[in-house]
Amino acid sequence: MRNFLIKSKTIENVGVLYPTGHLDAHSVEKFENEMIKMLDDSIVKIVVNCNDLNYISSAGMGIIMGYLDEIREKGGDIKLSNVIDRVYEIFDLVGFTEIYDFEKSETEAIDKFNDVS
Amino acid sequence: MMFPETPELTVSIPAKTELLKMLVELTNHIAVRNFFSPSESRKIALAVDEAITNVIKHSYKESEDSEIKLDFYCSNEGMKIKLEFSGIPPQLSESMVNLEKMIKAKKKGGLGVALIKRIMDSVEYRTIEDVNYLEMIKWKRSS
Repeated sequence: MRNFLIKSKTIENVGVLYPTGHLDAHSVEKFENEMIKMLDDSIVKIVVNCNDLNYISSAGMGIIMGYLDEIREKGGDIKLSNVIDRVYEIFDLVGFTEIYDFEKSETEAIDKFNDVS
Repeated sequence: MMFPETPELTVSIPAKTELLKMLVELTNHIAVRNFFSPSESRKIALAVDEAITNVIKHSYKESEDSEIKLDFYCSNEGMKIKLEFSGIPPQLSESMVNLEKMIKAKKKGGLGVALIKRIMDSVEYRTIEDVNYLEMIKWKRSS
């Protein structure tokens, strides 16, 4: 059984990542590769839809953190959406909730990028 | 005595990241059974994940033929997890993190130890005759 899967798509110039399952030091490479693919395609407005993410350790958070500066330098940002309570708790433990935008839905996150209120 | 002398459970595993999920589930199960709340149990399990990851990445440099031993001690007062491993002694100095600085420095690592220290009430390590011991304690009703 695969513990972690990642899919992605692009909606109106916004790249959306869909990590699914258990994101730890073992599965983090897949997540990082998908993030790098977005940057290689010059996509810098990124939403991480965490609806099906059950678990994240510092390895996964490190990827969200490690590429943020490069992304912001290029005029983009990373927003997180649909984060379930148990995963939000972990983001909150390290202070991610003060640095990143957490939106309830993917649509709201995309709209924020496109300045739709 | 705060904890019994004999661990409730001892597990020896090869230093492979593919076993992390199993250890997280095991630790969570032991914590719940020891009457920690679901939220606290998940955090204790995360601390174990971070500690094991640290050993695999930094002490063993991802050499998979190395071994890590975990002892779980439970009492009415809390839970103690002791890791025993060889390799490079761990660096546990980081307790506070400055996320903005880490983002500016494009750092992908460095959150693990901070998480462990934030979750557990006591984190200590010592090295005796080339064997490293990392001991983490979580007391009940502490936050």
